[in-house]
Amino acid sequence: MSISVQVPNLGESVVEGTVARWLVAEGDTVSIDQIIVELTTDKVDVEIPSPGAGVIAKILVGVDETVEVGAEIAIIEEAGASAGDSKPAARSETTGSPTEESTGSQPEGAREASPTESTPSSTPSPTPLAQRAADEKGIDTSSVTGTGARGRVTQQDVADHGANGTSSAPAQAERAQPEKPQREQAPPATALPDPTPAPAAQARPAAPRPSAKQYGASVEEGDRVIPMTRLRKLVADHMVYSKRTSPHVGTVAEIDMTAVAKLRKANKSRFEDQHGIGLTFLPFIVAAVVRALRETPALNAQVIDDTIVEKRSINIGIAVETEKGLVVPVVRDADRLSLAGLAAAIDDLSTRARNKKLGADELKGGTFTISNPGRKGNLYGFAIINQPQVGILRMGEMVKRPVVRELGGDDVIVVRQMMHLALSYDHRAVDGQPANAFLFRIRELLEAADFDL
Amino acid sequence: MSESAGPAGVSSTAKAPTLRCEWLGEVPYRAGLELQERALEAVRAGEEDRLLLLEHPPVITLGRAGKRENLLASEEERQARGIEVVDVARGGDVTYHGRGQLVGYLIANLRRAGEPDVHRLVRGIEAALLDAVGAFGVFGTRVEGRAGVFIAGEAGRPDRKLASIGIGVRHWVTHHGFALNVDIDLREFEVIVPCGLHDIEMTSLEREGVNIGPEFSARVRRAVAGSFARRFGSIAP
Repeated sequence: MSISVQVPNLGESVVEGTVARWLVAEGDTVSIDQIIVELTTDKVDVEIPSPGAGVIAKILVGVDETVEVGAEIAIIEEAGASAGDSKPAARSETTGSPTEESTGSQPEGAREASPTESTPSSTPSPTPLAQRAADEKGIDTSSVTGTGARGRVTQQDVADHGANGTSSAPAQAERAQPEKPQREQAPPATALPDPTPAPAAQARPAAPRPSAKQYGASVEEGDRVIPMTRLRKLVADHMVYSKRTSPHVGTVAEIDMTAVAKLRKANKSRFEDQHGIGLTFLPFIVAAVVRALRETPALNAQVIDDTIVEKRSINIGIAVETEKGLVVPVVRDADRLSLAGLAAAIDDLSTRARNKKLGADELKGGTFTISNPGRKGNLYGFAIINQPQVGILRMGEMVKRPVVRELGGDDVIVVRQMMHLALSYDHRAVDGQPANAFLFRIRELLEAADFDL
Repeated sequence: MSESAGPAGVSSTAKAPTLRCEWLGEVPYRAGLELQERALEAVRAGEEDRLLLLEHPPVITLGRAGKRENLLASEEERQARGIEVVDVARGGDVTYHGRGQLVGYLIANLRRAGEPDVHRLVRGIEAALLDAVGAFGVFGTRVEGRAGVFIAGEAGRPDRKLASIGIGVRHWVTHHGFALNVDIDLREFEVIVPCGLHDIEMTSLEREGVNIGPEFSARVRRAVAGSFARRFGSIAP
């Protein structure tokens, strides 16, 4: 019987490793748990023990070759009567001194392993890790000098190449920003799966930023220091950019959502049966916003240099919190969708946003954004405009509240489902009157609750 | 951000593992290897995880990928300065250790936290070091694709390396660890090309502007032991 030696699972994010050294050769007898091979991944050397006792029948992967987790790297013939005469490999006994052990066995292992790696190919293709790194950075691997086996391009080579070859890119991108911010500056989410807007440039700003340290920021012992991830940095830069670029004005409307709540309740289970998705309040809000935008094109606009561009398409960005951070997938041509269509599109986009399955295109081209940051404990608040749009609507919590209504000529106090909607708009492009009219129109539409379900 | 806050090394087990931190003072490199070997066997046999903190007298270590051409000083020069050269059974290229550099050997059983995850371990070590140096007003960062703690280079300048990381795993127990430059004379690194990378500039807490007062290295040691204990387990009494 033969035993297959496979690359063990080394961790969630570890997909592959590189064979650093074989400690055994074909024909060697090994005992169970004896270290037979070392793999390297990201500055970690992992010694792989033999899964069983027997004779190494075949070594399938040579030194410096990259192997995926789960891949078969050697075959062991289980110890039969014939293997009994040869003692387990001597190196397994020299556990006392690691230095001697390694220097002693290294040349032997290397010599024995070399035949398997001599696949006759003059210039081997880059390692998978290197290829991925090169793809991410947009580097052509043929322009990289390989230092691996037989000139194979390794991940480090790509990193070195990137460090030398693209050092001027960040500076350029940074310089370009103030001049053409509307085109260069992607909304934060756009950059997440889309490598085109100069990820290297975004990741490390070339211009020195004023540091909080000059205002006496300090870290005490026991504090946690968390470097920003790439997405966090993009979001941060975008927020600062937006605040600096657009004079934000906020206005809040109090909406009576009772009619919508009733409509939703009456149709909830039928809707779920029919469409297979839950019916939340969000599609109602989106539908009302879309209709109001159709009537108020000034809010469905972008500021590009010294012009205001009123967009023909209505593409609604929906801000979604994921474990990696904030992303804003876009419902395209939202005005062409029914309420059920909106509900399905929102459900699909937010699910895939959380599963990191969004395509780059699905994060682009928004003309207005709606933020629904979890309504509990959130009366209302003003969101920051998603550039280059001119408006963003933020949903507050929905609570039952006593309000005054007129009934048969008398004022009465009744209990209604109330929600605040807060609009932030760019005062460069929009004045107070149209902005308020827009928000009031949303309120009218929601309170009338005239939606086709 | 849950991504950074979550994978805090191997501390996420139900019963908090203990991490025994020991300050060993100055230990020659080869003796350090022996100590690690013994600690590794003890941890493998079920003892608590260890963090061995120490300093090495000047030594150049060559990993398996280590190229002699990355040794810049001549044999005579090395001898005159009392620098030892040791070949070690680890991946990677060439490193330099010396006085003023805090070396930490982390001997931890990766299986304690369920499925072993070597990348999470490296991220955890980086996070612990970032916490520790943050306490001295030094805001480090990670560089994608390079293990270690760096200071982001300003205005297109290269990043500076504050701490190096290299880990070995045997029977799911880790050894080796990190080397944090505290107040080491950075000119000493001129005897090598660090990690075989020509574009790396080394830095230290001192170079990053930390005010070196009395008992400085002891304070750094305490901060490091504390941050590792928080991320990898509590300190055993």
